[in-house]
Amino acid sequence: MASSSSSSSSSATALRRWELENQIVGSEEPDRDLIYWYDEAANSRAQQEKPWSTDPHFFKKVKVSALALLKMVVHARSGGSIEVMGLMQGKTLGDTILVMDAFALPVEGTETRVNAQADAYEYMVDYSTTNKQVARPENVVGWYHSHPGYGCWLSGIDVSTQMLNQQFQEPFLAVVIDPTRTVSAGKVDIGAFRTYPQGYKPPDDPVSEYQTIPLNKIEDFGVHCKQYYALDITYFKSSLDSHLLDLLWNKYWVNTLSSSPILASRDYVAGQIFDLADKLEQAENQMASARYGSYMSSSQRKKEPEESQLTKITRDSSKITAEQVHGLMSQVIKDILFNSSRYHQCTADPSGPEPMVEA
Amino acid sequence: MASSSSSGITFKLHPLVIVNISDHYTRLKAQTLHSGESSSCAPPSNGGTAGSAPPAPPRVFGCVIGVQRGRTVEIFNSFELLFDSKTHTLDRAFLEKKQELYKKVFPTFYILGWYSTGSDVEEADMLIHRSLMDINENPIYVLLNPAIIHSQKDLPISIYETELHVIDGNPQLIFVKSSYNIETVEAERISVDHVAHLKPSDGGSAATQLAAHLTGIHSAIKMLNSRVRVLHQYLVAMQRGEIPLDNSLLRQVLSLLRRLPAIESEKFQDEFLMEFNDTLLMTYLAMFTNCTGTMNDVVEKFNIAYDRHSRRGGRTAFI
Repeated sequence: MASSSSSSSSSATALRRWELENQIVGSEEPDRDLIYWYDEAANSRAQQEKPWSTDPHFFKKVKVSALALLKMVVHARSGGSIEVMGLMQGKTLGDTILVMDAFALPVEGTETRVNAQADAYEYMVDYSTTNKQVARPENVVGWYHSHPGYGCWLSGIDVSTQMLNQQFQEPFLAVVIDPTRTVSAGKVDIGAFRTYPQGYKPPDDPVSEYQTIPLNKIEDFGVHCKQYYALDITYFKSSLDSHLLDLLWNKYWVNTLSSSPILASRDYVAGQIFDLADKLEQAENQMASARYGSYMSSSQRKKEPEESQLTKITRDSSKITAEQVHGLMSQVIKDILFNSSRYHQCTADPSGPEPMVEA
Repeated sequence: MASSSSSGITFKLHPLVIVNISDHYTRLKAQTLHSGESSSCAPPSNGGTAGSAPPAPPRVFGCVIGVQRGRTVEIFNSFELLFDSKTHTLDRAFLEKKQELYKKVFPTFYILGWYSTGSDVEEADMLIHRSLMDINENPIYVLLNPAIIHSQKDLPISIYETELHVIDGNPQLIFVKSSYNIETVEAERISVDHVAHLKPSDGGSAATQLAAHLTGIHSAIKMLNSRVRVLHQYLVAMQRGEIPLDNSLLRQVLSLLRRLPAIESEKFQDEFLMEFNDTLLMTYLAMFTNCTGTMNDVVEKFNIAYDRHSRRGGRTAFI
């Protein structure tokens, strides 16, 4: 029992240290729940002033509530490999957009959006009116949709939709979730974006986090990637939420131990490997042609595309391998935990060579 | 943990429902607290007390939806409802409207029951329960206790069913508590984990990812270990005679021990090793790609450094 108390105190110090490292603003109890209060006056003031209309880069941060995140991820995952979409409700606070809640829309796919608009709007109006009656007076502040398996970015259609939204329904935010990568990597794959207005050139090149895009989508990504910028996402939860989630762990650890990421993302991993193979072939062809083609051009330019492509492929392959190895580690641990009596019966054999981990 | 429910139905609760109810309650509490100070029109709350300062936190009401397959009831989602505190009834039209909306997005779910907050079941709850009986013949009642007591070890959520009991000669419905399990899908688990521990959301280096993954497993195993220890101590105490023998518990422990090792067949070993080999193969391939990339770099640099004079015919140095 003494060991458990000391371990709990060490975990408490570890938590505090981690919070300090990541600059989590420690919100005290009364403050934390204040965020849930919808301030009519402040909101209507903000609507009138419209500080975002002058600065295209006005909003920099997004705060998502625990509930909204959970709802969005569950909805995205329930769509399987079909894209799903929904709306988010919330408010603005200075340069931060707060997302308090999200709800799903009964439309599928992004190609059929033109026809489904009317249906979606009807649903949205109905839902909003019912919401206002149950003490959720926030307005729609953005939309979310899923990109199952191909990463968090805005496609061409998404960019034009968002630009339209930003013209008429400001303030508006676009969020993309990838449920397949979430399950495979074990962490939530989500991105929040706002587009620049037509013709606006960002003053500096935004440095975005690298992610692997499958070959058939990479063109779409490349054409439009300069037209929008990503916002930082942080999460918040109420005091009751944190209390419940802590207690939930008492029952939840079973699921954590029994989860098997390898089984869940088999298709995805196979797909990624295929995609990597295609990319390698493409890189090879490019290199072969470049060797004969561009002797006259400066070597700088020749170096850039091939090298970065091969390094990209290397990075992708390391990432997918690392995820697979993590999954295998869980399996091996479970095997040792629950099957080790078998090992004790035969001569004590180590359970196999340790898999190497990609740095 | 002994449930008094005799219906034999197992309940599975998803964490989304818990977060939903908690959010609803927090919202309402925040609204009433603030509009209690300003004397403007009170927000349309349900079941809130008169707006004197500080009002007791109001009860929230809502519906739970999900699927029932055979003897298993799985509660997936929930939504809020309007409650008329004067007549103690739920707003029926509202319920139907909301149900329609949710049917469009989640066509497989249907209403399983209702939820509320509070510390214990109240008399008025039976009325509400009865009114839902025409939608679902055996609705369930989920009760969440929103009081934050830090010494609490268990989830303050209870699920009640109704049973027909004969009391004083009259058959009456009474609430009977049932046990439940927490059920989840992988994506839900990851996002709950994410929010609960507020892990860093970006990739970070491979080292931090590995650390995060192993920490999760480590905490889970720690829990398992502590539970096993408790059992062990209990058994040792029983052996020493400090605690009276409980045969049913001993039988349960025996059956638990009999389940280890979990899987023992040849086939499992083969599959497991094949999986292992597949992963090793992937690692090998990735290493190969890495080496190829590095080799390519070396060759490039070599070419630039040593071949330019012979191949380019007099081109001078470029930057």
